[in-house]
Amino acid sequence: MAEVDIDKLPTYIEIPAIQKDAMAGDGPFKASAEIQEQLGFPGEKIENWQQVAIEKMAETTSKYRSVQVFLDACVKCGACTDKCHYYLGTSDPKNMPVARQDLFRSVYRRHFTFAGKYFPKLVGAKELDDAMLDDWYNYFHQCSQCRRCAVFCPYGIDTAEISMAAREVMNVIGVGQKYSNQILGRINKIGNNLGMPEPALRDTLLDLEEEIEKETGIAVNLPLDNEHAEVLMVTPSADFFAEPHIDGLIGYAKVFHQSGVTWTMSSYASEAANFGMFIGSYEVMRQGALRIRKAALDLGVSRIIVGECGHAWRVAYSFWNTLSGIGGGASDEYALKLQRQLDSNYPQPQHIIEFTYDLIQKGILTFDKTKNDHRKVTFHDSCNVARGSNMGDIENGQFILPREVIKAACNHFADMPKATIKSSTFCCGGGGGLLTDDLIELRIKGAMPRMQALKQSQENDGVNTLAAICAICKSQFSKVLPNYDFDPYMIVSVHQLVSDALVLSDKSQTKAEDSL
Amino acid sequence: MAEILGAEIDEEGFLLKMADWSEEIALAMAAEDDIELSPEHWEVINFLREYFIEYEFAPAVRILTKAIAKKLGNDKGNSRYLYSLFPYGPAKQGCRFAGLPKPTGCV
Amino acid sequence: MSLTSIIFTLFCYLSLLIFVIGLSYKIIQYSRTPAPLKIPIAPAPLKRSGVFMRMVAEVFLFKSLFKASKWTWFFGWIFHWALVLLFIRHLGYFWPGDTPEVLLKTESFKYASFPLIIGLMGLLARRIFVDRIRYISSPSDYLMLILLITIGASGMLMTFALYYPNMGLVYSFAEGLVTLNWSELPSDLIFLVHIFFVFILIAIFPISKLLHAPGVFFSPTLNQVDNARKRRHISSWAMQKETDKEVSIEQNLEKDE
Repeated sequence: MAEVDIDKLPTYIEIPAIQKDAMAGDGPFKASAEIQEQLGFPGEKIENWQQVAIEKMAETTSKYRSVQVFLDACVKCGACTDKCHYYLGTSDPKNMPVARQDLFRSVYRRHFTFAGKYFPKLVGAKELDDAMLDDWYNYFHQCSQCRRCAVFCPYGIDTAEISMAAREVMNVIGVGQKYSNQILGRINKIGNNLGMPEPALRDTLLDLEEEIEKETGIAVNLPLDNEHAEVLMVTPSADFFAEPHIDGLIGYAKVFHQSGVTWTMSSYASEAANFGMFIGSYEVMRQGALRIRKAALDLGVSRIIVGECGHAWRVAYSFWNTLSGIGGGASDEYALKLQRQLDSNYPQPQHIIEFTYDLIQKGILTFDKTKNDHRKVTFHDSCNVARGSNMGDIENGQFILPREVIKAACNHFADMPKATIKSSTFCCGGGGGLLTDDLIELRIKGAMPRMQALKQSQENDGVNTLAAICAICKSQFSKVLPNYDFDPYMIVSVHQLVSDALVLSDKSQTKAEDSL
Repeated sequence: MAEILGAEIDEEGFLLKMADWSEEIALAMAAEDDIELSPEHWEVINFLREYFIEYEFAPAVRILTKAIAKKLGNDKGNSRYLYSLFPYGPAKQGCRFAGLPKPTGCV
Repeated sequence: MSLTSIIFTLFCYLSLLIFVIGLSYKIIQYSRTPAPLKIPIAPAPLKRSGVFMRMVAEVFLFKSLFKASKWTWFFGWIFHWALVLLFIRHLGYFWPGDTPEVLLKTESFKYASFPLIIGLMGLLARRIFVDRIRYISSPSDYLMLILLITIGASGMLMTFALYYPNMGLVYSFAEGLVTLNWSELPSDLIFLVHIFFVFILIAIFPISKLLHAPGVFFSPTLNQVDNARKRRHISSWAMQKETDKEVSIEQNLEKDE
């Protein structure tokens, strides 16, 4: 358990009085020259960084309508000030969404607006000096880009867009974050965030196959690089490595086994996560998406399904078609080839929850719900799924489908308080490239609002299990739950609940094996 | 650059070069974290190193727990037990003592 | 014409000129800046009609603000609607010739000045007394409210407190601005303050946070349809990049194998 002083969970969340500089500091570890250069960024802070930063800001505002409009439109109404979990947890006023944006906006005003150029004091315009850059680095790495503020803003101003823009400006001048950029270097080289090479991945999957057979007596496959599979499964690499994630992976395997649909994972694209989004780089994000397109083409699959990963699903659902033509409408050679290859009877890409939900609707899966009777389950809406995606192509499907899947596998389900779920869900505290030990104090404090809601559910409904569909959420909760006197093992994958209750039948996957 | 017993470490205390590792370094790292390495700790550290040398990667927590169950008995083959040995996590703290790079990602 | 009248007449046109040019510039800028990615915020509509309903709810009801803070919503909403009613009520002054029947019926809209002032005072009080909002406020944020309060208060003094200016002169001055048949304006200080601040308000519109008015319509989180899986959304610059770099990207990927 990390040692951070936190108060006892309150009965209800009070909006704290501001405490200036409560979270002042140097921010997370900075990326080394080697890490920076792998991504094509300068190795260290460049000589003329101010000039380059301002030029990059000009480029960003001319390429992103979101950034341009959001910088102009804010009226400082204060609606967002009490909506950020990091503000509620730390009381630092610079963690209020508008104040965080203002770090960027004040520089924008100084350099790009009439009022800011000629009357800087009047409109709070500021120069991008060393102190400001330090604040940028510190506070734009205290934003998990969860977009809760945007739900409440009368103009839809999305702090995540500003925080991404700021991080990109910083990368361009050679000031990058070690955690995110190191991971991006690895995915470009090895194919996943962890840097897990193919033999280790293969061995892990074999080990899991043995485990399932030992426990259930039924052979369930976790295929890798199977060229004749229908489905390419792209899941966060945490599913291959971490607890409780790995039980979710077992759950996917069992669902595929029961469905009779052949599937495979790819050793070339063994990662759904795409940290390119966190650093605001269209190019880096596109590289990640193209890797998956290439894997799909090489393996000749007809469907692409994404595992339990929050921001991956936002990237896949909202951005893949734009970035790499996975979906309909792109016209380059490879995209056209992919369009011919993919089965248009299904949305492309699809979420594993959508896949499982469809099977449940069709009556293909049988559950013994009593297997989960020791659990009283609640569901944590992960921010990127909740606020940046959809499932099932029905309004609010991203809230409905996961809950329906849980209810199909469990007898006891209760939601957390209304103001803390669905589109108003509180971030786990570790998203957006902040899931790193050097930010542990922020992570623990930022989890407070979610923990408070969980405690209410524990007291009112006896909730003892927290289910999620995001690798970051799962890791973050495992880490911070004990700080709030919860059992760290109460966090599970939704597909672990599915896995535990699913009745398996012995249909060895002859199709897949024959074709190998 | 910081050092431990003459070996370079990064800002999070992980060895930069795996080849620099020695049992003394593991002991010194553990001492920094107020941990006295027991035979059980060494079983974990040795398994991590063996696995890493074969696969160039640390084992998944599940694989580690199963290996420990085989060596130390089923009652110890679970993540709760491993956390009691390595309060900062068997993967992260264990890898550090074993001289392996830190596993990071969504973990 | 007196010097005051000449100056105020020029002021009026100057502010309108800044307004029209500045606002057109910003609107063109917003519409020309691409939105490279689909970023609608939940609860996101899946169809165009849903976007329309969403914009109606935001623009007319301030729906998100209602979710966020009931007090801010209350003060902000009554202020904006009062402003709309008062704007309509003022149209009659500028109407050349006989004022149309419908504008004559807007006499009672003058009472909207009460909710206007209440709303503005409420917003000002929040800005002063709530520590979070005080923290995020710049001098311009206070001045904007003071400007509007002054306009409202001076208008009320003229309407309800018997500081009537010469209404004949008001009509001929206002009509003259429209018909370019300029004439003398009343020289009452309170009237001059009232219209001077209105001109200021018009002039600073395109260079201040008043840009929230056009901005809301261009906000990608609000105005996008959530259908990225079905229909490809791509910006001009990304498309350009794609066609320029297509081959090299595929080559890079080959190399990794």
